Amino acid sequence: MIVGEQKKLAEIKEIVAPYRKLLLLGCGTCVKTCFAGGEDEVAALASALRLAFKQDGRDIEIEELTVERQCEDEFIQEAAEAVARNDAILSLACGAGVQDIARRFGNVPVLPGVNTTFIGVLEKPGLFTEECSGCGDCILTTFGGICPITRCAKKLLNGPCGGSREGRCEVNPDTECAWQLIIDRLRALKQLDNLKTYMPAKNWRTSHAGGPRKLFREDLAI
Amino acid sequence: MRNGFKPVITVFHCVKSLGDETDLSALEDNAEIRSIKIPCSSMVKDVFLLRAFEAGADAVVVLVCPEGECRYVDGNIRAKKRVQRVKNLLDEIGIGSERLGIFNMPSHDEAAVSHIIQKTASELMAREPAPAAYGVKL
Repeated sequence: MIVGEQKKLAEIKEIVAPYRKLLLLGCGTCVKTCFAGGEDEVAALASALRLAFKQDGRDIEIEELTVERQCEDEFIQEAAEAVARNDAILSLACGAGVQDIARRFGNVPVLPGVNTTFIGVLEKPGLFTEECSGCGDCILTTFGGICPITRCAKKLLNGPCGGSREGRCEVNPDTECAWQLIIDRLRALKQLDNLKTYMPAKNWRTSHAGGPRKLFREDLAI
Repeated sequence: MRNGFKPVITVFHCVKSLGDETDLSALEDNAEIRSIKIPCSSMVKDVFLLRAFEAGADAVVVLVCPEGECRYVDGNIRAKKRVQRVKNLLDEIGIGSERLGIFNMPSHDEAAVSHIIQKTASELMAREPAPAAYGVKL
């Protein structure tokens, strides 16, 4: 999932301050799963904002709505009537959702309420960890399903750096050494020979280096 | 009672910490008590606590089982974490975290409940009404 974190209330208050009628728009997919922008977070933030504005002696009308996904037009359309009733949209989606909403509703200011953080997983309750950098050329087959690009601080592709201690990364001891995990996993899979294959320097052209990427599927285009 | 101020206290409680037979009416002289029963304190969400303030509460009290005695294992721990999160929000908002409290209660201990509510009411009498409820700036 795309992991995000709700912005601090003070920052949100500041960015919505110019508006009297606000649509607080949640997203029911990734940011719901990471407790940053689903229905519950929309309701709690709306309540907190109303209290905060009242505390300051100001009024704000907040309409609450959560759509299934803010990054797909067919779901975004469900918000059209609510958008028309309000001065601005505070989106609790990831950056893609915010921009898709802005593209769809050109005349209404769209404000981000979430800091989009990374592509990751819920490792255990309360702990989300980054596991994919979206590099555009997946090499997980070779490394037993553990990504050295994302999970090794040095992005090493041909073996460990030698700096890890007791399975922890020397850059950040809170992080497991990705190469320890890779070797343990490949040993369990009896695929340690994978590591005899030299990995050439990574071609980053499939990543962000060339600017925003596009994926075109001729079979889906009409 | 100062200037006719009768504080409103919203009490969230699990079924174990405060039973149906508990009579809170004796405490109504000092405060208006709004009692909200939930199966387990873990069902207390951030928004419920915040909306209690929006609905006019001067203070919100959450009564939970003693640690280690939750019927649903860790419901009271979850409630405690949510309450702390909302307390931080209340400070950020300016309402003040001291208006929200969580208490571990022995099962059906009416005397302890009365003590907590009376103490909360008397503390509120020394303060201004919650600004969010009355539109008053502290």
